[in-house]
Amino acid sequence: MGSAEDEVTKVIYGFYDALDDLLRSRGTSAMIEIWHHTDYATTSHPFGSWARGWTEVNVNWEEAAAVFGVYQGHATRSDRIGGIHDLKVVVVGDAAYGTGIYKSKLYMSDRQLDLSLNCTNIAHRIDGVWKIVHHHSDQAPPEWQAAIGRMVEAGHS
Amino acid sequence: MLGAPHASAAVGTEAGGFRVLGGPDGNLRIAAWGYWPAEVISAFGLDAPAAAQALGRSSVFVFDSKELKPQGAEGQEAIRVLFRVLARLSFAKGSIVRGNAMTCMQLSRLLRECGADGRIEFTDN
Repeated sequence: MGSAEDEVTKVIYGFYDALDDLLRSRGTSAMIEIWHHTDYATTSHPFGSWARGWTEVNVNWEEAAAVFGVYQGHATRSDRIGGIHDLKVVVVGDAAYGTGIYKSKLYMSDRQLDLSLNCTNIAHRIDGVWKIVHHHSDQAPPEWQAAIGRMVEAGHS
Repeated sequence: MLGAPHASAAVGTEAGGFRVLGGPDGNLRIAAWGYWPAEVISAFGLDAPAAAQALGRSSVFVFDSKELKPQGAEGQEAIRVLFRVLARLSFAKGSIVRGNAMTCMQLSRLLRECGADGRIEFTDN
């Protein structure tokens, strides 16, 4: 068993693996598994707005999966949609946080959409198990949000 | 007062609910907010579609979602019931006042699924 810092680092990388699964229409089970389902779970995403409590947090991830259910750009790609870079983890007792930069590429029918956002994730150790209890990313630029909105309205990417 | 708009009592709490505002001109405004518990979902699934049935050809429909959070499966189904009714009706103009971007995308998806996407546009107020 590694250090607490190693364990949290693994959890945070796992979060972004789960996010890639979700965005690629591989389901939300990995995302659900990576969180402690607590009433103090919170998340904010590139579209802004807070979800507070596991029920709302889960609905946000389910909706993100539904939004990207119409994204077709992964059909011919083998690379990841996105991932965390420059991750730094700090552990303080049974709580830990990681800061990093999430970078992603979406291949739309008319262009490539690049995203680079500062992110913070907080993990909590409950009964010896580290899981995410908080995720926050900067808001995406308006043009990126608008492009995703158009994708949802059109029902395809 | 004759001719004054009439509002239903708010259903739910500050954390999640809705209110229906109708008028003698046949216009309809539904304001919704927060995350809906089961009792609000049940009430919305009955009250909102029933109110929409009164829309006439010259009526304006507004769904104010500025303070609405993305809803779970049951809440989405209640909204679908409303959107399916709207898809079948003839009215002059329909709009959704947008707020939370994720909610906006959820409503956009539900409109598309219900065949009402050509009938209702998103506005900022």
